Amino acid sequence: MSFHIEVITVLLNGLQQGAIYILLAVGLSIILGTLKFVNFAHGALYLIGTYAGLLLALEINLTSGLLQEWGYGQIGLDLGYIPALLLVPLVVFVVGLAMERWVVEPFKNRPDTDQILVTFGLAIVVQEVFRIFFGSSSLPFSQPAWAEGAPQVPFLVQIPISSWRYYVILITAVLVAIVYLLVEFTDFGLIVRAGTRDPEMVELLGIRLSRPYIVVFGIGAALAGVAGVVGGPLNPVNPTIGNDILVPAFLTVVIGGVGSIAGATLGGVIFGLTYAILVATFSSWAQVGLYAIAAVILLVRPQGLLGEAEVAP
Amino acid sequence: MSDEPASASETDTSAVADMIGIWAPRGNEVRVVAGTAIILGLFPFVFARMPVLSGLLQGYQSLATLILIWGIFALGFDLLLGYTGLLSFGHAAFWGGAAYAAGVFSQQVSGSPILMVAAGTAFAVLLAWLLGFLSLRRGGIYFAILTLAFAQMLFYMSSSPLASITGGENGFTGVETAELFGIFGLESDLPAVLGLLLGTWLYLFVAIITLLCVALAYRILNSPYGMVFRAIRENEQRAEFVGLNVWRYRLMSFILSGFFAGVAGSLFVIHGSYVPLASLYWTTSGEVVIMTVLGGTGSLFGPIVGAGVYLYVENIVSGGHPFDFIAPFWHLILGLVFVVTIWVFPRGIWGFVRDVRDLVTGGED
Repeated sequence: MSFHIEVITVLLNGLQQGAIYILLAVGLSIILGTLKFVNFAHGALYLIGTYAGLLLALEINLTSGLLQEWGYGQIGLDLGYIPALLLVPLVVFVVGLAMERWVVEPFKNRPDTDQILVTFGLAIVVQEVFRIFFGSSSLPFSQPAWAEGAPQVPFLVQIPISSWRYYVILITAVLVAIVYLLVEFTDFGLIVRAGTRDPEMVELLGIRLSRPYIVVFGIGAALAGVAGVVGGPLNPVNPTIGNDILVPAFLTVVIGGVGSIAGATLGGVIFGLTYAILVATFSSWAQVGLYAIAAVILLVRPQGLLGEAEVAP
Repeated sequence: MSDEPASASETDTSAVADMIGIWAPRGNEVRVVAGTAIILGLFPFVFARMPVLSGLLQGYQSLATLILIWGIFALGFDLLLGYTGLLSFGHAAFWGGAAYAAGVFSQQVSGSPILMVAAGTAFAVLLAWLLGFLSLRRGGIYFAILTLAFAQMLFYMSSSPLASITGGENGFTGVETAELFGIFGLESDLPAVLGLLLGTWLYLFVAIITLLCVALAYRILNSPYGMVFRAIRENEQRAEFVGLNVWRYRLMSFILSGFFAGVAGSLFVIHGSYVPLASLYWTTSGEVVIMTVLGGTGSLFGPIVGAGVYLYVENIVSGGHPFDFIAPFWHLILGLVFVVTIWVFPRGIWGFVRDVRDLVTGGED
């Protein structure tokens, strides 16, 4: 394999890894920016997305957990990947709406620390529920057969990356663009942005903010769900994945700048590329390098790369 | 905490009197420390050896020791969360860091338990100073996320680049703890009645340090210095306007809390003779958060009670026998109880107990 192909492989892998972070970070960021709510349960939404995707797309054999003990060892609807990709965001969107209504609303006027603590507790509860029912061992979530091999493009050198990774990048780009357009160029987005600036004034003008807010939370949750489905086949699936992905996702938000979709995207790209490059060069320092870069950015620019100093809480 | 520097004209006797003045007990201190000593003295007997009760509780000596160790950790954490109002998600760095430092110290330099605790604590304090300096630039959620990031960095450092020292994924196994003062093996039983009451030398060692930590924390929190912590929690801006340097007090509170975490982490390695890599992972920080909140933030003993409840559920309820039907769900139950606690009783078990006491005694302290 020649050098430039290797470089392209590393960069594409990095972009794909970054895409997962971006999907999570954009959701976290708009929730944090508009609702001023710190959601430590975002990893749990990712977890729900992954398991929902797995159960919709495939039929799997459980090796442990309560469902297996009760005789439902073989479980899953086996609908294929496309229906899963369409249904999971809906499922997690509804979960997000419920969460906004029953968790975010009661905690709106409590301190930041209480919000972090309650969502952290909920994340544990969700993780344990999945562990109890589906067991703690890793489940097989294979990539779809039509996206396994490297894409065959005539006249171009072949890059040894499965097509699934390209789809991940593509799906992320499309979704982030949609959310961006929604927030920047629609009436809904206008209300949301106005509510971010001065909620009291917006409500005085007779605009109800609770509805746009609940939708914003739902969208953020749905993005985490998509991240779960597209990220699922790339990593082992077990109940701790939510916990493991939460910290990098949060860092992506804060290095990009809270409330900024472009910032979250930039942060995700930086994170993904750094990680992939470090894995290819100094692999044992890869994770450390990720956090070191985040720390340096936050120390030099505490409001994040594209964040506005006064908006950040 | 006397801030006045002693002037040169003062005689030696008044300097001595000052010293005595500083160390003389104030307020309820004697009562609190004596009460703690009695409870620490009776706890292992009731928990692990008393005829009927310990059979019901299913307790054992080693768990009693572990509860005190985590109790110190949670006590220090509460200094930061409950009194200064800062939520750190990076305390695993001090706990695990001190455990590694004490472990490596025992292997390379000396296995004396007291020196191990000193080495581990010194490491944790230096680390807390550095991390506090870096993370306290931003408050609120940024502080939580920054501490989390730095602690995770340490976790990944010890997992691979420093694996030659820390043992990487396998954890640090080369702990060589020597006898206390070169005479008393920590695992051997205490003589006569003490053996029945307290069990091992290790428990005595940990209990004495716990007592010192409780006394120190009580002293700090009831000093004018500790009052400033509370003032900052209640209203940061007002504290700033009064002329207090909020940033420095916060840093000091962070370092103090790192100190307690360091003591606890060092004791943890002495107790277990092993440092698992997971002791640096952020879920360890999460555990101490749960213990503290469960027990009750903003109280001296709440976090210790919280640590006891958490470890009891983790080690005994999960084990089966009397709890067969809920054993597999122990973590879920803890999570649910934690959520309910924050939702309904933000002051935790200790706050609940105090409310009941106030109801009975008519609110007199």
